[in-house]
Formats: sequence, structure tokens, C-alpha cells
Amino acid sequence: MITNRRLGLAAIAAALTLPAFAAQAAPPTIGYIYVGPEKDFGYNTSMDVGRQFVQKNLPGTKTLHVENIPETAEVEKVMERMIRSGARIIFATSYGYLDYAISLGKKYPKVAFLHAGGLKTGANVGTYWANSDDAMYLAGMAAGAVSKSGKLGFIGAFPIPQVVRSINAFTLGAQSVNPQVTTTVVWTGGWLLPPKEAEAANSLIDAGIDVIGGQVDSPMTYAQTAEKRGVHVVGKDVDVSHLAPKAVLTGASWNWGPMMLKLVKEIEAGTWKPSHVRGDMKDGTVVLDKFGPAVPEAARKTILAKKEEILANKFKVWAGPLTTQDGKPLLAAGAPMPMEQLESMQFFVKGVIGTVK
Amino acid sequence: MSRSAVRDALRGLLLFLVLASTFFLLIGRDPVSMFGAILTAAAGSGYAVGESLVRATPILLCALATLVPARLGLISVGAEGQLYAGAIAGTGVMIAWAGPPPLLLPAVVLGGMAGGALWALLPALLRNAAGVNETISTLMLNFVAALAVTWLVYGAWKNPQSQGWPATVEFPDIARLPTLGDSRVHAGLLIALAAAVLLAWLLGRTRWGLGLDVLCSNPRLDSVTSLSLARQVLLTMAVGGTLAGLAGIAEASVVQGRLQSDLAQGAGLSGFLVAWLAGNRVGRTVWIALGVGALLASGDGLQMSERVPSSVTLVVQGLLFVAALGAAAHRDRGTRHV
Amino acid sequence: MSSVDIVLAGLLVSALRSAAPLLLALLGECLTQRVGRINLGLEGQMLVGAVAGYATVAATGSPWLGLAGGAVAGALLSTVFGWLTVAAGANAFASGLAVWMLGLGLSAYLGTAFVGVRIEGFPLWIGGLTPTVALALVLVPLTALWLFRTRSGLRWRAVGESEHSARALGIVPWRVALSGIVVGGLFSGLGGAALSIDITRTWAEGMTAGRGLVAVGLVIVARWNPWLCLPAALLFGLGEALALRLQAADSAVAAHLLHMLPYAVSLLVFTLTCASLRRDPRSGGAPAGLRAVFER
Repeated sequence: MITNRRLGLAAIAAALTLPAFAAQAAPPTIGYIYVGPEKDFGYNTSMDVGRQFVQKNLPGTKTLHVENIPETAEVEKVMERMIRSGARIIFATSYGYLDYAISLGKKYPKVAFLHAGGLKTGANVGTYWANSDDAMYLAGMAAGAVSKSGKLGFIGAFPIPQVVRSINAFTLGAQSVNPQVTTTVVWTGGWLLPPKEAEAANSLIDAGIDVIGGQVDSPMTYAQTAEKRGVHVVGKDVDVSHLAPKAVLTGASWNWGPMMLKLVKEIEAGTWKPSHVRGDMKDGTVVLDKFGPAVPEAARKTILAKKEEILANKFKVWAGPLTTQDGKPLLAAGAPMPMEQLESMQFFVKGVIGTVK
Repeated sequence: MSRSAVRDALRGLLLFLVLASTFFLLIGRDPVSMFGAILTAAAGSGYAVGESLVRATPILLCALATLVPARLGLISVGAEGQLYAGAIAGTGVMIAWAGPPPLLLPAVVLGGMAGGALWALLPALLRNAAGVNETISTLMLNFVAALAVTWLVYGAWKNPQSQGWPATVEFPDIARLPTLGDSRVHAGLLIALAAAVLLAWLLGRTRWGLGLDVLCSNPRLDSVTSLSLARQVLLTMAVGGTLAGLAGIAEASVVQGRLQSDLAQGAGLSGFLVAWLAGNRVGRTVWIALGVGALLASGDGLQMSERVPSSVTLVVQGLLFVAALGAAAHRDRGTRHV
Repeated sequence: MSSVDIVLAGLLVSALRSAAPLLLALLGECLTQRVGRINLGLEGQMLVGAVAGYATVAATGSPWLGLAGGAVAGALLSTVFGWLTVAAGANAFASGLAVWMLGLGLSAYLGTAFVGVRIEGFPLWIGGLTPTVALALVLVPLTALWLFRTRSGLRWRAVGESEHSARALGIVPWRVALSGIVVGGLFSGLGGAALSIDITRTWAEGMTAGRGLVAVGLVIVARWNPWLCLPAALLFGLGEALALRLQAADSAVAAHLLHMLPYAVSLLVFTLTCASLRRDPRSGGAPAGLRAVFER
């Protein structure tokens, strides 16, 4: 800790000549805004865990955290109040906060805004996100290996690109093990609707599906349902192994802390330049959860080998050959997917049952 | 205000302070600093006051939307649905507008009012034609309207530039109600206050308003008042719907800048509570709406300064209504009660 | 599996499961309305029941104790409604909404410690049914028989018809009204606990998502008759189950329209019920005490 402070002070001394984000002497006040409950055992909790990591590793830092702020102009008011309370850095942790972050960024040029998952930046607004598609691909491999019926299910909240990408990656991974698998998609229409999630899981299971994945606010409900019904589950955002010890295969969890800490340090040191920071499995922002008991040894070896390939940049999930849901070829073998198509994905790959509407 | 009204208000306030303090102590917080934090967050600066007013505006409009039919004895909880309907209608006008630009703003606002009025006429017609109880029908229609918004922003009206994220295109500046200076306080507040003044006069001083009172206590006296019950049901609901629809299009166009889900943020139901707490009197409705708006606007500030979860504000709001209802209930035992 | 198969597979069981918590709350509100009171705070009571039940199971490991804990919590919150409407004479709708708000906030606050906590619920029986479904189904005839065949049931109905006449018979109306409210609280708390302990096995704030509010309307659809509460609840449950299963079967109907289905269907049936009630009020079975509200 003392070492950090010394380094910090040295950085301050060195950075005194830099404009705009001239390093500060006192530890910063950092604001965090969550779209749902802080303790939701899912997405928001993962962001809050990141906040606690930053707080622990930057002693003296004060963090302000506010939960249940909808993606409306309300967030602008909250951010402004945080800034008036002394916040110098704001983590806007939900996608729908982007436009408000940018407009408020213009009003407060000395404050740094960090937005989760956005595709626009400003003079003092940067974005941070992590690619969980690779981990979902690997999780899909586990699903494909374990599924006896060859039918997978996926419970999503809304057909937004991030969820669509997870579904496609999951399916592609499963198909690499068993080319015949299908993934049936059900939309719940909300980020946190446990009764609907339970019912969706049950109806998928009744239709013969034996591995369920999902992307809603929290995986806890469908994980519990899978465990109760004796099928398997792949987690998202947080590790569900304590909730579904027999059912869990693996999952794609977040580990935002180190990335957040790095950004805060850069801002404080004055070296930060607003950009799209993207993490992945390599830098540890995305974690492939440990395997559950149902994943056979052979499958584990294959999956881990593929993981190494991905980490070494030898394998790309989003490269051809890729066929869309209606059978049309989208990418030729080896061709990479263009960035815009990736970030705004609104189509399903072949083998996915369901609509994006 | 009459002396008994002041007594009731003080009794309610005292009860609220006791209940809220008990709750704060139970969760391990100092009541004085909590109340202080709420007050500071709600009104501790010009900025805070502005935000409280922004929050209070749709609540006031929805409270008035509840109040007008209530004078006839109708118990409508439909302001929230009418708000959404107004937002949908106004947004539709904005999207489809092909006329001259200077007329866009009035067209959007009128569209919003019309949408709200139509959504209110539906339960009114059902009541007249089939005796459908308006409380339950408006309650259910609220769900339908909210879901309709979701359906539109994910489907037909989704902004193609939003990369799959659900929201409509933004309202152009010329289609937004003017705001006050640097804050987000908008002309909707002025319209709400003007409407309140107008309604207070109409309901309290004109033959129409007094006729409503008579009809409320005995529907068979329509010959005396020369008002037809069925027609007044439609009229009062439509007036209410117009106001709620205005709240909706104001929220969509100027506060949010676009149509999106969860636009209302509970303004409809808060408005209902405010109206009934105020005994459906216009003057008191205004004050209570401002107070409730301030309390709700202070929520995030309370989270920040006192480090409590957002549910604490919800509990405080519930305790406020419980205290106000419990203390003030002994007056006004007219037929507007159930 | 063909599309039809997917939709039908386990549809009835799924509808029953979806309907069981609602049915419990519905029975409770039916009794409350039978004594002439209408409680919109049902939603708040279900929520406190859900969190209390979940916490009890987490602490004791027994799902049955959890159900009991939920019922008690619902009853406790309902006493607030009882105080407001019976003792203080406040407006019933406003009081109900205030209680709902209070329940929503309190349950969210108390529940934060239990999000993501694992509980062992009831074991699954064959066919996917669970003890809570059985409990709800058993309570239907028990409630109906109690209401229509016992002396205390008769007293309650008398109060619902006319407090004035009931007083003449030596009944103390406010005591009966309060009992009706508290029993409603017991049932709705039980329903909430059934939802969190059995259906989802998780707790999240606001998880009842409007079920309590819908229950208040469905009582009218059920014509204040506990027997009819079962088909009324099933109707809603069916709407929910269908909406999800049609998606799983890859139907072309937009998901959002399907989500409107349960509410739209309930509204339709409600409208038809009111229409026929108006034609012949006597046949509806509405307690006269409520008639002032529903048949002006």
C-alpha cells in the first residue's frame, strides 16, 4: 500500500504539466451507478464487486454508489449530484446511460466518465467492456459435449446485440462438438423477472432441452430451476456453482475490478485518454468458471485446449464459415466479422430456434 | 386551509416522523441525520429544487387526472396508462410529422393529450355500456399501455441507429417543450399549475363543478343538475386523460428525449395517492404532489450521503402515505370514500 | 418435437405451477372482499411473505416453516391495512396502495441479505407438481366449504352484505372485517412464500410483478366464489405459460404481444363478467357491502 502511494505521488510530480486530467493529490471520489439492485447476484453485483476492489486497492478512495437508477434522464440527475458531491470519476455501468454520460460530459469537462459497453466516446468520456463471447463459446462446447438430447436452451431478457452475441457464440461452441445441436431462445421481456425465468426454464426443459444458458440480470433463478429439474446449466455474470452444484457445467463470469483499478490509476496519473477499453479472458476481465462434475475429463481437455488457442490468438470465434438462421452463408471460411456487424448483431446463426424481434 | 385541515396535516406529519424515526433506528441509522439528508437532497440547493420540481410535475398532472373523475365518484387508477398512451400518441406524431416545422411542437403536445384522453375514454365507455368497474379496468389497462410501449420501442419504432438498444429516435429540439434556464424544469409544470388553477375554479365555483358534487352523492339527481351521468363519466375521464397524456408526452419529449420503457416511473400511482390524500381538493393536491416529488427526487441523494439502499426511500414514501392516511381520515366522510 | 407438442407438453402443470401462488392470494382476497373490504395492498403482502418465507427456509432449512413464516409476515402487514381502513376509516384504495408501497420497500430492504442465497425447497413430485400446488388446490374446497357451510362463514358473509343488519344479529362488524383482512394477509403471504420457496427458489426485490394487483381484479372474475377462484387463477397461469411456450415453439407472434396476453385475457373476462353482473346483479354474488363500489 505504501508503495502504491509513493508511486502515486511520483506520478503526480511527473504529471503536473499535463492539462485536463492533471493528477490530483488527494484520493479521488468515484461514483458508481447501477441500473438494478446492487445485490442482485448478477450483473450489478459484478460491477459492485469491482467497486469494492478499487476501494480496497486505492486506500483513502471514497466511492459513492447508487442503485436502481433507470436508463432515463434520472441518471443524468444522479451523475450531476455525484459530481456536486465531489466525484471526479463516474462509472456508468449500464448501456442505456451512454447518451446521458456524453451530454453531461460536455457540461463537466474535468470529470472522467467511464461507460460500460458503449460505442461512442467524448473528450472526457470513455467506455469499458469485456468480450464474453469467447467464454460463451467455450461454455457452449461444454454444453454440446454434455447434452444428451442435443437441444440447448437460452433465456434472454431482450434481443439486444450483447445477448444475441452470447446466444450465437454459445451455439457455435456447442456445434463444434456436436454439429446437430439446436438452441431454443425464449425472451422474458425484463432484466429481473424470476417467476418468468423459472417458467421459461421449465417450459424449455419440458420441451426436451437439457442444458440451459441465459443472459438476464441474474442467473440464479434459472440455475436453481435447472438444479431442481435435474438438467444442466451454464452460468453468466457470476459463478453459479454454489447454487447449482450438480447442474453447473461452467459459465462466463465478470471480474471488473482490475480493469476499473487500471482506469482509475490512469485517470489519476493523468495518462488516461478516452477510448474503447475492451477486456477479455486473457487479461482476466472475463473468467471461464471452473467445471462442474458433469463435464467429462475428455471434454475438459478439449475445451481447455481451445481456450489456449483463443488466448494465443490462433482461433477466432467470429470468423467464417458462418451461416445464418435461414441457411444463407454470411462469412466465408476464415473471413473475420467486421466490427460494426459484430457490435450491432441482430441475427441468429443456423441452429438457433427463435426470433430476434 | 381550515383549522381542522391544519390539525390533520400536523397530526399526519407527527405520525410520519414517529414512524420514520422508528424505522431509521431499527436499521441502525440516526433519524436526525436521515431527515436532514432527505431535506438537503430534496431542496438543499437551487439545483435540487429544480430536480424536485421535474419529478413532481408528472405526479401533479396524474394527481389532477385522478381528481377530476373522483369528483364524480369515479375511482380511476388509470393515470399511468394514460400517461403512456399520451407518450405513444405524441411520439407517433413526431415520427410521422410531415407538416411545417413550427407546428410540430403544438401537434406533438395535442397528440399527447389526445392519446391520454382516448385511453381514459375506453374504461369510461366500458363503464357506461357494460357496467365495468373503472378501478379494475384502468388498473389492467395500465399494464397493457406499458407493455405497448415496450412492444413499440423494441419493434416498429426502434431507432435503427441505436444498435439494437430499445428506444425511439430522439425528439428534435423544436418538438420539445421549453425548459427553464439550465435546469430540466419544463413548461409542463406551468401548464400543470395553470390547469390546477383552472380546475379549482371550474370544480368549486361553476355550475358544472357543483353539479358533479351533486351527481356524486346521488346519481339519480341528474335531472336537477341537467347533467347526464353517462356524459359526465366520459367528460371527467377524458379531462383526466388529457392531463395525464400531457405528462406522458412531456416526459418523453423533454425529460427523456425519446420514448422508452418505464417512462412513468410510478407517477400514475403516486398521483393517485396524492389526490386521495388531498381529499380530491385541488389546492392540497398541488402541495402534496410537490412534497412527494421532492421526496422521490431525494432518493438517490439519500443513497449517496447516508449509504442506504434504494428501498429505504420506498419505505419512507410508504410510511408517509400510511401516516397521512391514518391521521387525516377522520375528516371528509363523504361518498367519495369507499 | 413438433410445435404443438412443445406448447402442450406440461402446459397444464406449468399453468398450475404459475397459478398456485396467485390462487392462494386470490382466495385470501376473496375472503377479504366477502367481508366487504377491498385490499390493493395484496401485492405488498405477497412480497413480504416471499422474503420472510425465503429467509425462514434459509435459516431453518424447512420449506414448511418457510411457508408458515411467509403467511405470518403477510398477516402482519395486512394489519396496517386493517388499522387504516377499519380503525381510521381511510379510503380503501389509497390505503391498499400505501400498504403495497410499504411492503415493496420493506421486502426489498430485508431481502438484500438473501439474494443469491441457496435454499433447498420442496422435493419435486411426479408430473412436476409440488406441495404448494397441492396446498393451493386443497385450500379451494376448504375455503368454499367454510364460507358457505359454517356458521362463522355465514357471519362473515352477513357482514359483507350489510354491517347494519349484522350488528342487529349481534355480530361485531369491525372484528369480522379485521379478521377478513388478516386472513387475507395470511393467504397472500403464503402465496408469496410459495412463489419464492417453490416456484423460483430465489428472492429478488419486487418479484411478484403485479400478481397481487391482478388478484384483486380476478376476485370479481371469480364472482367472489372460492370455487371459481381456481379457474380464474388458472386462466392467468395459462396465459403466462402459453406466452413462454409459444416462444419456445418458435411462433411468429412477437414476444412483447405475448407478454400482454395474461392481462388482456383477464381484462376481457373481467369486462364480460361486469357486463353480465350489471344485467343481473343478484346472480353475481357480489357482497352488497361492495356493491356500492362495483355497481354504481
